[in-house]
Amino acid sequence: MTSKIKVQDLKKNYGENHVLKGIDLDVQNNEVVVIIGPSGSGKSTLLRCLNRLEAPSSGSIVVDDVDISDPKADINKVRQNIGMVFQHFNLFNNLSVSENITLAPMELKGETKEQAQTQAKKLLETVGLADKFDAKVQSLSGGQQQRVAIARALAMNPDVMLFDEPTSALDPEMVGDVLGVMKDLAKQGMTMVVVTHEMGFAKEVADRVIFVDDGKILEQGKPDAIFSNPQNPRLQDFLNKVLNV
Amino acid sequence: MKKWLIRSLGLVACLLGFLGVMLPNHTAQAAEKTYQIGTDVTYPPFEFANDQNKYVGIDIDIMNAVAKEEGFKVNIKPLGFNAAVQALEASQIDGVIAGMTITPARQAKFDFGTPYYKTGVVMAVKKDSNIKGFSQLKGKKVALKTGTAAATYANSIKDKYGFQTVTFDDSNNMYEDVTTGNSVACFEDQPVMQYGVAQGLDLKIVTKPANNGNYGFAVQKGKNKALLAKFNAGFKKIKANGTYDKIVQKYLGTSSASSTASTKKNPKVADKTFTIGTDVTFPPFEFANDQNQYVGIDIDLLNAIAENQGFKVDVKPLGFNAAVQALDSGQIDGVIAGMSITDERKAKFDFSSPYFQSGVVMAVAKDSKVTKLNQLKGKKVAVKTGTAGADYANSIKAKYGFKTVTFDDSNNMYQDVETGNSVACFEDSPVMRYGIQQGTKLKIVTGPAEKGDYGFAVKKGVNADLLAAFNTGLANLKANGQYDKITAKYLGKDEQSAAAKAKPAATQDTENRSFVGLIKQNKGALWDGFKETIWLTIVSIFFATIFGIVVGLLGAAPSKFGKGVSSTLIYIFRGMPLLVLALFIYTGIPSLTGSKIPAFIAGVVTLTLNEGAYTAAFVKGGIEAVDSGQMEAARSLGLPYGKSMRKVILPQGIRIMIPSFINQFIITLKDTSILSIIGLLELTQTGKIIIARNLEGFKVWTIVAFIYLAIITLLTWLSNWVQRRMDA
Repeated sequence: MTSKIKVQDLKKNYGENHVLKGIDLDVQNNEVVVIIGPSGSGKSTLLRCLNRLEAPSSGSIVVDDVDISDPKADINKVRQNIGMVFQHFNLFNNLSVSENITLAPMELKGETKEQAQTQAKKLLETVGLADKFDAKVQSLSGGQQQRVAIARALAMNPDVMLFDEPTSALDPEMVGDVLGVMKDLAKQGMTMVVVTHEMGFAKEVADRVIFVDDGKILEQGKPDAIFSNPQNPRLQDFLNKVLNV
Repeated sequence: MKKWLIRSLGLVACLLGFLGVMLPNHTAQAAEKTYQIGTDVTYPPFEFANDQNKYVGIDIDIMNAVAKEEGFKVNIKPLGFNAAVQALEASQIDGVIAGMTITPARQAKFDFGTPYYKTGVVMAVKKDSNIKGFSQLKGKKVALKTGTAAATYANSIKDKYGFQTVTFDDSNNMYEDVTTGNSVACFEDQPVMQYGVAQGLDLKIVTKPANNGNYGFAVQKGKNKALLAKFNAGFKKIKANGTYDKIVQKYLGTSSASSTASTKKNPKVADKTFTIGTDVTFPPFEFANDQNQYVGIDIDLLNAIAENQGFKVDVKPLGFNAAVQALDSGQIDGVIAGMSITDERKAKFDFSSPYFQSGVVMAVAKDSKVTKLNQLKGKKVAVKTGTAGADYANSIKAKYGFKTVTFDDSNNMYQDVETGNSVACFEDSPVMRYGIQQGTKLKIVTGPAEKGDYGFAVKKGVNADLLAAFNTGLANLKANGQYDKITAKYLGKDEQSAAAKAKPAATQDTENRSFVGLIKQNKGALWDGFKETIWLTIVSIFFATIFGIVVGLLGAAPSKFGKGVSSTLIYIFRGMPLLVLALFIYTGIPSLTGSKIPAFIAGVVTLTLNEGAYTAAFVKGGIEAVDSGQMEAARSLGLPYGKSMRKVILPQGIRIMIPSFINQFIITLKDTSILSIIGLLELTQTGKIIIARNLEGFKVWTIVAFIYLAIITLLTWLSNWVQRRMDA
């Protein structure tokens, strides 16, 4: 197994506010990494640094042998291989469902409309929304929108998928559909980094769980170890709060 | 992102380059052959637009005469006094002739030609004011026109006499300020003031000319010696050959008072006042003008005769029938009411020598097929009571089998034919001709019948002295040409129309002052102004939108440099008053660069920068109003900044911006009016010039306002249509 993403001593601060205080992280090919931690711990910022939606203050992030913390790196090229799914879906409101999915392949890979649409149909089938091909974004429920967003990210055939709290904005009955799609992806061997509060998902799907608090990784390991035998008192405290609601 | 930035900067550079290239070419061509001379917009009798919207006046005529004499060409531009002086200073034009007094201050900047007119400053007050001297001005407001010698004079004495000054950009506004009572007095050069008063301003001159000075033609100091030499040489020639005198006389004339002063007063009627009855409305013989003063051939003739013979008249517009009855009953001394001399009337009245020959004509609606009397069978015909036309109609109605409908005044009679209630009307030919000329939609279809003469009537056997005086006066007026002038003034087309041409058009009261009349009369000028406004608006909106989008995008870009450039541009051009910006670009830039800018281009650049700055602000705001997640999602797919902007952000942002765009287009249209300051002949400037001629401020501004509203309505419809298309 080779390193897909290699993060070394990553720091991020906004002025005096130090959000990330030195993160080291390796993500292997086909690995599913789930990042958990309390709100404001820096886990989303860490994720967003991985495709440079946030520029790191210091440290290095190497994705597929490209150091994306270097301002000269062709970030657009790297991003084509890293799909991202957002908490608030961020579907393009001015485009239809299919156009959301075909935009990037047509613009960046030079695919014809037919090629891109054929692929879009397939992707919509895999997320269970084949009938929404021509629908307007606004007509979809949150869960449907998030599955379209996953299809959109997959349309570029990325090697890595980043999920930033993909179910946090959903009504409870929608969560299952989205997690189902994510599980399927994991089974197919997609390299995934997932920030989530869905502990069930972490237990079932993660190869590794990382606990982040106060801008640092405090503990990481197999889901079993993390959930049944947490070492760090903060993690124990966190799990106590999350699991015994 | 950077590529996009460079591209947009390139676009700005292209735009500026494009403008830069256009300027010198444009002016070089025009400047080659012809001298560009600036003048005031309205400074009668020195310069003003006549009713064909041609510029005339002493200055214009002198300049043209000199140019003709010396064989050079001039292009005289009515820029307004201040704009002209500034344009000259900025070398935008070659010379200025604008009733400009030669002062040491001006001599420091300009070289002046031989003084061509001697003048002095007088003070005028409202006719019913009791202010007679400067000492009564204490604590009051006085109206001045910017940059005039009179203003300088007034300012020099204002501390001494303790008055305040209010400054206007043109004479009419200044006069108006006094007539409305905002100011108690105004100061102006004597010939200008005199002319204004003669044109019917409700003002009177109360002081003797002070601060006497000379008007001179100016060129930029040290430059254009050649033009100055030509002017001086030409001026010498036109003075020697009498052209100069003719020009001055043409506008200032020798007033009727002085030309007839030599005629002895008629001792029998001298200083007596006679009450004369007349008709209410019988144009062109008598009618109220818009100042509600009675004018017309009868009135003018009567006044001129009275002056000639030294008696006074009190003219009462009683209506024709009432006047005849009042005369019959001895309540009044005479009647002058376009009354035909008939045997029947001669039995009751004594008539003067005929003062006007007339004949009855038949008129029908413009689209009518009736051309002959025998087509009237069974139809209705409109006549006015007691007129020769009515008598004639009644005398033939049995023969031709028509019925008559009788009206009390001409307008109603015309109306009855226009609306088709009656098929024809009978009226004296001059009256009919005048009515048609003024826009009545009728046509004359027969030759004059029953040719007859109009006479002034007194009661039989009474007032023989008045009758004799009238006859003597009439003969005198015919001899000295005043009679021809009066008739020509109202009928124009006569063979004696040479006299009419010699008079400045502004004195013609024959203009139809109704809204329809004003529009008809000025439709050419208004149409040109309308086109200029539309053209300015379209070109400015085009460039302002491009400029605004580029600057707005720059401001929304994630680049500190771009943001800085954008907000600086917005700060400067949104912060500067449009008027200042226009003057700065038009007069300031040439002073800095040495190359001229045509007014149109200066105007477009002004609006582009100002409206573009506003556009940039809302374009930036519109982009920023799109949820930031949209950009993140696009970028996370690997789409570059520019593509994300184009495919995702702008389509959403433009929806937000559309109402602001529509707003901005409307504002741009309205703001073109400000460009009148640099002499662009757009709608507002056109309005100013028309008003300067006819003083119909209210009506003309109403017309202009409606034209603006019409354009704005169209623009709004168009915008709404576009918006609906976008939403669909």
